[in-house]
Amino acid sequence: MNLEEFLAMEESREQDELIDLRGLDFVSEYDSHLMCPICHCPFVDPVHLQCDHVFCGSCLSSAITTFRSADSDDFPCPSCRVPAKEISTSVPRLLINMCDEIRVRCPLLTEGCQEIIPRGHVQSHVEKYCGYRLVPCPDDSCDKMMRSNDVGIKTKCMHAVRFCSRCEENVVEQDFEEHESKLCPVLEVSCAHCLTVVTRGELDAHVELCPEVAIPCSASKYACPVKIRRPDIKYHEQICPLVAMGPYFEGQNARLNSLELGMRHLQQRNEIFEDGLANIRSTLVESTRVNSNSHNNRSSGQSGRDQQPRTRSESTPDDSEDLATSIFSSTANSYLLSLHESLREQVGQLSHAITDLDARASMTIMNESLRLKEDMALTNAAMNSVRMQVQWLMNPRLHQAPRGTVRANNTEGTRTQLDSSASTAGPSTTSAQSLGFLRPRRSSDTGREGTKL
Amino acid sequence: MQDHLPPGIAMVKCENLEEWQMDIKVLDQNPLYQDQTYRLKFTFSNKYPIEPPEVQFIQCAESTGTPRSIPIHPHIYSNGIICLDLLGSSGWSPVQNVESICMSLQSMLTANTRDERPAGDQEFVATNRRRIRDINFVYEDDNV
Repeated sequence: MNLEEFLAMEESREQDELIDLRGLDFVSEYDSHLMCPICHCPFVDPVHLQCDHVFCGSCLSSAITTFRSADSDDFPCPSCRVPAKEISTSVPRLLINMCDEIRVRCPLLTEGCQEIIPRGHVQSHVEKYCGYRLVPCPDDSCDKMMRSNDVGIKTKCMHAVRFCSRCEENVVEQDFEEHESKLCPVLEVSCAHCLTVVTRGELDAHVELCPEVAIPCSASKYACPVKIRRPDIKYHEQICPLVAMGPYFEGQNARLNSLELGMRHLQQRNEIFEDGLANIRSTLVESTRVNSNSHNNRSSGQSGRDQQPRTRSESTPDDSEDLATSIFSSTANSYLLSLHESLREQVGQLSHAITDLDARASMTIMNESLRLKEDMALTNAAMNSVRMQVQWLMNPRLHQAPRGTVRANNTEGTRTQLDSSASTAGPSTTSAQSLGFLRPRRSSDTGREGTKL
Repeated sequence: MQDHLPPGIAMVKCENLEEWQMDIKVLDQNPLYQDQTYRLKFTFSNKYPIEPPEVQFIQCAESTGTPRSIPIHPHIYSNGIICLDLLGSSGWSPVQNVESICMSLQSMLTANTRDERPAGDQEFVATNRRRIRDINFVYEDDNV
């Protein structure tokens, strides 16, 4: 036949082909000469060209549709590129038989069919004989499929819902038999431990309470190995030392947990501190020299300033010497600590010195002021006596004054001097009476009184 | 696909039916390719074997443990694309397979004596963004 006829024939054949013969699971070995060079499977409906090359009919037709230049009536053979016009379907019977003899597994393996059959029989096996093929349900009203194996045995529809009278549940007909014999919860079963007969639905609850079931001691988490019958476990638990110690263990566990928590917390804090310390160390180690030098200067300056006892000013250089040696100590940590300690000590010494100095200063001030007070009292007394003498001396002169004003005017300078000294001790009645005309001077007297207070 | 591969051909990667990698060697004493192994990448479409696969040489870095370069050949571009009629839709035949392609490429390499890239190699490598199957090669040289 020519190309057109061949293509038309292949097209019609593809439609009624149900099983993919190339996708089958080949069990037996087959000769590579039985293999189509295009699909590399044993020939399926082989055809041959004029050049004697054989291909599957479907492989060749797809090759022709792809490679034939438009509307030409010939086609290059895929193997040898010889132009072919005629395609013959009359392949030697021998070749077809050999291909059909190859053993394959039934394609319904996934459904459960284990059969191994010659490839030539696959089509009829799947269509007629395989017990696992799906056929329509014999009940016309049901549109579901079922295995053909089941059709012969049961003539009724297996998809109808059936009511189980014992457990009052709806079960599909297909599963009813299994349900009745195995799964129905009302079905009676015997407990494996105590041989009591209970219903399936209650079995789980029974096992929870069954006296024959061996259960572990309640202290099993504290390594009690005992595992005995339920009634005996109570007696065991009364005498089991691990049960008695249970609360204690629990308390210990709780304590351990809290301690662990606290320790973790402390570890975290410690890490933070260590980090900070490392930072301080790195900055300090660079400037230790400078630090110690300035420290020396400071301590000597301070000892000079605050009038300390000799021992103190001598001890400070010693401290700084200790400091200098500790700089070179191997562990920077201990160095830092010693530095800190010496600094703290010096601060203490300084505060002591300051209080000391304070007390000293206030004492001297007090002494000084006492002395001054005494001096002042002495001076006052001397002044008083002088004034009294002056008054005594002046009295006769004042009595003479009304007699000669000229004389009084001459002595005015002397009088004012005396008056001032007298007014410091308090104005005498005599002077006030006698010097009534000299009133303007009183203003200055009041000013003197203010200063005296 | 084949249990016993011809000498100089080795499977490298064939986990799925979309991309395979093969190593080929030139077995004779051609000084251009002596003691060299080249990596081929096959990309199959779902119409294989009716349609040809895309075949090209690929480079592998030294760090992968199997350094591979692109063989020098007047019909092989420096990006690994091969100009061979067998791999185009006009020269392809469905009876070809990975093994026969490898053998064709082996013979293509071994028959070559010219140490050169195709004309316009730089331009092609720089500008080509098409898939291999879309490139219209002109198979003008039948000597190599």
